[in-house]
Parts: sequence; structure tokens; C-alpha cells
Amino acid sequence: MIQLNNVSKTYQTDKVETLALRGIDLHIREDEFVCIMGPSGCGKSTLLNLIGLLDQPGGGSIHVGGAAVTSYRDKHVARLRNATFGFIFQSFHLINDLRVIDNVELPLLYRSVAAGERRAMARAALEKVGLGARMEHYPNQLSGGQQQRVAIARAIVGRPRVLLADEPTGNLDSKMGGEIMDLLLQLNREGTTVVMVTHDERAAQRVNRIVRVFDGQLVA
Amino acid sequence: MFRHYLLTACKVFLRRKLFTAINLLCIVLTLVILLVVTALLENAFYPTGVEGKSPRMLQVMMIEAHTADGNSTSRTPLGYKAIAQYLKPLKNAERVSAVTIPETVSVYQEGRVSELMMRHADADYWKILAFTVLAGRLPTPDDDAQGRPVAVLNAASAARLFPGIATGAVVGRTVSVGGQPLQIIGVVDNALQLNAYADIWAPISSLPSSNYRSQMTGMFTALLLAHSPADLPRLKREVEQVAATVQLDDPRQWPIVRLWADSKLDLFARMLLQRDGSDGGGATLLAGVAALMLLFMLLPALNLVNLNMGRILERSAEIGVRKAFGATSLQLVGQLVLENVLLCLAGGALGLLCAKGVLLWLEGSGLIPYLHVELDLAVFGYGLLITLVFGLMSGVIPAWKMSRLDPVHALKGVA
Repeated sequence: MIQLNNVSKTYQTDKVETLALRGIDLHIREDEFVCIMGPSGCGKSTLLNLIGLLDQPGGGSIHVGGAAVTSYRDKHVARLRNATFGFIFQSFHLINDLRVIDNVELPLLYRSVAAGERRAMARAALEKVGLGARMEHYPNQLSGGQQQRVAIARAIVGRPRVLLADEPTGNLDSKMGGEIMDLLLQLNREGTTVVMVTHDERAAQRVNRIVRVFDGQLVA
Repeated sequence: MFRHYLLTACKVFLRRKLFTAINLLCIVLTLVILLVVTALLENAFYPTGVEGKSPRMLQVMMIEAHTADGNSTSRTPLGYKAIAQYLKPLKNAERVSAVTIPETVSVYQEGRVSELMMRHADADYWKILAFTVLAGRLPTPDDDAQGRPVAVLNAASAARLFPGIATGAVVGRTVSVGGQPLQIIGVVDNALQLNAYADIWAPISSLPSSNYRSQMTGMFTALLLAHSPADLPRLKREVEQVAATVQLDDPRQWPIVRLWADSKLDLFARMLLQRDGSDGGGATLLAGVAALMLLFMLLPALNLVNLNMGRILERSAEIGVRKAFGATSLQLVGQLVLENVLLCLAGGALGLLCAKGVLLWLEGSGLIPYLHVELDLAVFGYGLLITLVFGLMSGVIPAWKMSRLDPVHALKGVA
């Protein structure tokens, strides 16, 4: 599904060069649930951003669905992101000015989907995460757990092949975190590939593969 | 998509009330000033109403004389003799009129003294300008020839001199202008335009003294009506050629004489810019006004760019999310510019309303006598154009800058 070959990433700040990742070889198969773990600052989120094409590697190559990502030109990469990935962020990143239903519709706006169909798909996604009754609410009227469910609904509404979650339970208490984890496992069982960055060992024990990162490198 | 952008824009404007208010105030103030100035300029220079024949009209206002060594120059208004002898016979003119520059006169009426602006004009004046006659008639060549002591009032002066009397009933009454009795033969509508502005008019031949007939310089302006607008350059050249033959009363002292036939805009520019030569400088003046207007617009636009940059920076996480879910830079620019254009259009609508209010106030206040300005479709069009330029100028730069952000940086709020 996703193949990273000898991928590296360097950040340049003023005159300081920081090597965030080096020599990353990683293959994520279809239907896998992969947890990326490691200490803070080791490069987990950078790796997730590279997988999701939110950032450009400094070296190496990335293949998505068997095809090499050769161009990071705006239009090309935007289309690829929209069709392939759904993102879940630790701090939810919902748009507070929009209602829950409008937030969930967001990925469909950038496809040629008719308004009526868009609304129906968003409603179905919200019902799937158990928030069918909160469609007209605004994000700040919901609890943290509910907001993360909205974020998950937004991530799955376009039926992406891969869900990328960056510490999705990091801002939630253990009960709500557990519920979110259940939801991600259910989505994985239904055929969605999930890649998740987490610090939570308990959550990681529930998935079928753990990838550990240390000092910008994968460790066994 | 458009509905979504619209919804987002409305929510953002309502959430950032202070920003929205400052933005609107900035746009409204600028637009009001620009629209009011445009409307007044259009009223002064656009050929409508009483000066509807402006496109084929020129005026000669000053006679310019130079000493032989070129060290001294004299500029004075024309005398009647200069017009009668040199300008009336112009071949390229359909009509040439002599009319005095408005002067303040005291009118005695039923024990009251009123100060009015008066012109003395020949019969051609009434043929060149298209006054709206409310009652009675306009002076004729026969009135000129006979030197009849008659006068025409405008509506405001008729109401002022004869309060409570219907306009029609004013005709036939007599007023005393500086001790000279003049019979009112007509009442015309009020007019503000350059050549039409006055409260009371009388034939030149009714002037108490006939000295004016022998004066080369004095208090007159000549209005020249060409057969068609295409004849204006020929008419201008003919005036310049005729000027070479003009002899003033003391030709030894002032051997070089020049006359310039100008359009209204050129005449205004010539006086303002102190121009010599056949080009009065109307085009230069217009270019200067346009440049000033642009500069005037540039300052609030720069301010808006700054404000917008701050507003959009606050939304960098939203921009990151949109990019993560498939928005292209172009789509984001479209969204952010649309928000700006919407705000500017709202400001434009408010600005138009306020400009209308200011013009109504100006009309009612009497600061500019006989002002009657309409915010017509052309002015509305200028307003809309100015507003759109504003929206684009202040929206494109910040929108483009923000749309180029990497999604990772945008999500972290690092712009």
C-alpha cells in the first residue's frame, strides 16, 4: 500500500541543520493497523507527515498504491491526498466557525460531489461515529471525545484507503481514548489501513504491528 | 462550494466583529470620499442638462498680452469689443456668445435688499445653453437690439424676491437692480454649471453705460459653439490665428496677444496649472486626479492587506486542514479573495448609501448653491469597480502568501 525507501528528512533553521529522519525503509500493507511509537522528538510525527504527503522528504522515495510519488506539485499532491488519506490530529483541528456537518463535508468539497450527496455522506459518517444527533452543533459545543469523533467522521467521509492518526487519544481521558481506539479498530476491521502515532503502550498492544523510531531511525 | 465559502466568510466576519468593523469603516470612508468627488466632478464636467452641448462648446475667458521683450504679461477677461470684432465672425463657429462673468448686485424689492449673482448676456447665450424655462420666455435678439430693460430670474431667486408668489406670476413684475428697473420676462430652473451659474440675467444692451462696446478687455467670456465636436480642433486653431491679428488699445506696449479657446476641463486646468499654449492641460489634470485617487486608495488598501494578513494568519490551522484534505493553493486563494471581495462589496453598498446621504446633505446645506447631483449608474459603476479593485488589491497578496504554506507548517500555526 505504502512503501518508503531510504527516506530522510532534514530541517533547516537559521544556520542549524537538524536531521529528523534518516534511512527509513518501511512497507505498510493494505488493511494493516500500524502504530508508530518512540520518545518525544524522535521523528514519529515527521514520519507520519511524510507518509501522508503533508511534507516532502529530503531524500529517498515514497510509493503510494504502487506508484512512486514523483511530483509534489500542489495540484497533483492535493488530489492524491484527497483520494487516498484521511487525517486525524491530536488537537482535532476542527473549524470552529462551521457546524459539525459542514466540518465533516470538508474533504468532499474538493471533489466533484453534488451538495445533496455530500450531505448524505457526511450524515452517514457522523452516524457511524455515533454523532448523528450532533450534526447541527458547533465543535466548541462538544466534549473533547465528541470532537475527536467528528474529526474521525471527517477523515472517513471520503472513504480513504489510509487513515493517518497523530496521537488521536493524546488529549483525551482514558475512557474516551479507549472509545476512540475501539472506533479506529472497527474501521480497520472494515478494511481501512490505519497508521497511528501514539505514546500509549496499552493502545499499541491492541494493534497488529508496532514500528519504533529512535533518533530518526527505525529500530527493531 | 460557493455556499460553503459564503458560510465560512459570514461566520468569520461575525466572529471577528472589530476586524470587520474596521475593514468596513476603511472601505466606506474611502468610497464615500471618492464617490462624492467623482459625482461632483461629473456634475461639473460631464455634459448634461443646461450645458448639454458641452462636447461642441469652447470658451475664451482671458486675453493674454505680452510686451515685445517678453518680460511682462497681462491676463485679463475679454472685453465686448474683442468678442464682437474678432470672435463673432469665426468661420468654424455656429454661434458665438458674449456673457459677463457673474458679479454681485443689490436688488431692491419691496423695501428689502437682496444680493444676487448677475450676468449680462446676448441672445446667443440662450441658444447655446439649454435652460429649462419654468415661466415666461428667454431674451431674444430683438431685446438685444432694442436694449430693453428686461431680466430672467432663476427659480430660487424668484422665490426669494417674490415669496409666496407662484413662479408664473413673477413674470411681468419689475425689480430694481442697482437702481435700474428691470422687468422680469422669464424664470428658469436653477443651474450650477460653470457658464450657466447666476441668479439673474439681463441683455448686455441693458447695461447702464455703453462704454463696454469699445473695450478690448473687461468682464466678458466668449462661448463658442462648433457645428460638431469634430470641428473643435479647427475652431481652436482659428481662435489662435485670429489672436495674432488682435490689436489692443495700446499695441506698442502689448504687441503680442494670445487667445485660448478651451473646453471646460481645459479651462479649469489652465487656471489651476497656470498653463500657456494651446494645450490647456485637461489631460494632465485628469491624469493627476486619477493618480491621486489611486494613491488615496492605496493607503487603505495597504492597511487592509496588513489587517487581512493578520486575519488569515490566525486561520493558518484551518488552511493546513483544508490542504491536508485536498484543497489546492488556487482553491484557497479563491476562497480567501472571495471573502475579501464580499466584505468590500458590503462596504461598497454601505459606501454608496453613505455617499448618497452626504450628497443629499450637501444639496440641502446650501454650501454649494444649486447643487443637484445624482449618484447615477455611471457613478455606481465606478463605485463597484473601485470596490472590486479594493477587494482584489487587499486580498490577493495575503491569500497567495498563505496558500503557499506547507500543510505541516500551517497546521502548527507557523506562517
